[in-house]
Amino acid sequence: MSEISCHPAPPPETTDRPFLNGLWRQNPVFVMVLGMCPTLAITNSVRNALAMGLATTFVMVCSNGMISLIRKLIPKQVRIATYIAIIATWVTVVDYLVKAISIDVYKALGAYIPLIVSNCLVLERPEAYAGKKPVGKSLLDGLGMGLGFAFALTCLGTVREVLGAGTFLGVPLFGHNFEPWVLFLLPPGGFIALAMWLLTFTLWRERKEKLRRNAQQAELRQAMEVTS
Amino acid sequence: MTPAPPPSAGFPMVRTLTVVSLLCGLLIVLTDVNTRGRIRHNQEIIMQESVAQLLPGIQKQIIYAIEPSGDLTISAGLQGEGPRLFAGYDAGGRFLGVVIEASERGYADVISAMYAYDPDKRVVTGFKVIDMKETPGLGNRIGSDPEFTSNFKALDASEGHPITTVKHGTKKNPWEIDAISGATISSRAVGRMLDASVKNTASVVARNLDRIKRGD
Repeated sequence: MSEISCHPAPPPETTDRPFLNGLWRQNPVFVMVLGMCPTLAITNSVRNALAMGLATTFVMVCSNGMISLIRKLIPKQVRIATYIAIIATWVTVVDYLVKAISIDVYKALGAYIPLIVSNCLVLERPEAYAGKKPVGKSLLDGLGMGLGFAFALTCLGTVREVLGAGTFLGVPLFGHNFEPWVLFLLPPGGFIALAMWLLTFTLWRERKEKLRRNAQQAELRQAMEVTS
Repeated sequence: MTPAPPPSAGFPMVRTLTVVSLLCGLLIVLTDVNTRGRIRHNQEIIMQESVAQLLPGIQKQIIYAIEPSGDLTISAGLQGEGPRLFAGYDAGGRFLGVVIEASERGYADVISAMYAYDPDKRVVTGFKVIDMKETPGLGNRIGSDPEFTSNFKALDASEGHPITTVKHGTKKNPWEIDAISGATISSRAVGRMLDASVKNTASVVARNLDRIKRGD
């Protein structure tokens, strides 16, 4: 277990395919349940969720790349301090860039952007991956994990915005008779939407695993019949 | 014979941290230099929107730069540093009030804000946060909590008593600000900010009030 991970037992990396692992098999939100603060706080609209997801992706790609590049020069005793300094720098860069690119996005995310530095996911990846692997793989890992995080945030944001405001990316979806469930825009709605997605994702994975096991058993039976 | 001591691990640690710190500092400075103009432009748009919200009905505005001597000079735009005040007028040219920039150290960083001031009644009539990094859900409520912002509908800013922030639910006087429960540091920063700004700027406005009302 990584020393700075907030998660008790990250699932094993079955194969070293960093991009796909982050995007799907080890999805930071739906599988590893990391980075819950922005996941719950930011996802009351799709636009905010996407913006936070992309900002986190940028930080992860840049910090993973930089850490991997200098990993052999970092003494073990000061690795965490070095990782935090590098991550904090990229978070500051994102803060400036968002402030320069869009006022509206900055108004919505401004207070949360500095908190990317304390996101368990962003701190965990250098310790678990980028500090040990070459630059190319670390960049892919950052990209996969970041996009996986953005995907999960967008899933939550979609449910919350559609049910809570009756819109998607600000475009009204229903008629005037639609009564929005404002609860979904409030913090309890974030927990409910997250629980729904976690349940759906877990059931889907269990079903897939069951099908895989059944197929294996069928193959085994067939092989035994042939030998007998 | 005692074995030779192992080589000190201190130097590589200091070297790595120094190089990484220098690289990080350079990166931040480069980003700052390249985005400063654009950020300034965006902040000016926010300021213009804030002035319109703080002085409802405003159709015309004059921006004055406050000189160190206390005199006012008309500023052509929002460029330049230093304290400024925005005088607002309605469609008929009637003076509506002034909006003043202020800032104060909050919990996480400096809070930048603007407030509307009625120099005739000597009251603060509105308050809007322009930039802050206060804790989400706690300190950042100074910009959105309706109960807190209602403190600034007619906050007494006359001489004789300082504007002070009091514990939530204990406001008794019109010059007191009712703090947000759980965000006392940020609430107190707003009180200090307004008190210092009014003390510094109210006399300048009073001295130049006729000129400001005429709009010249």
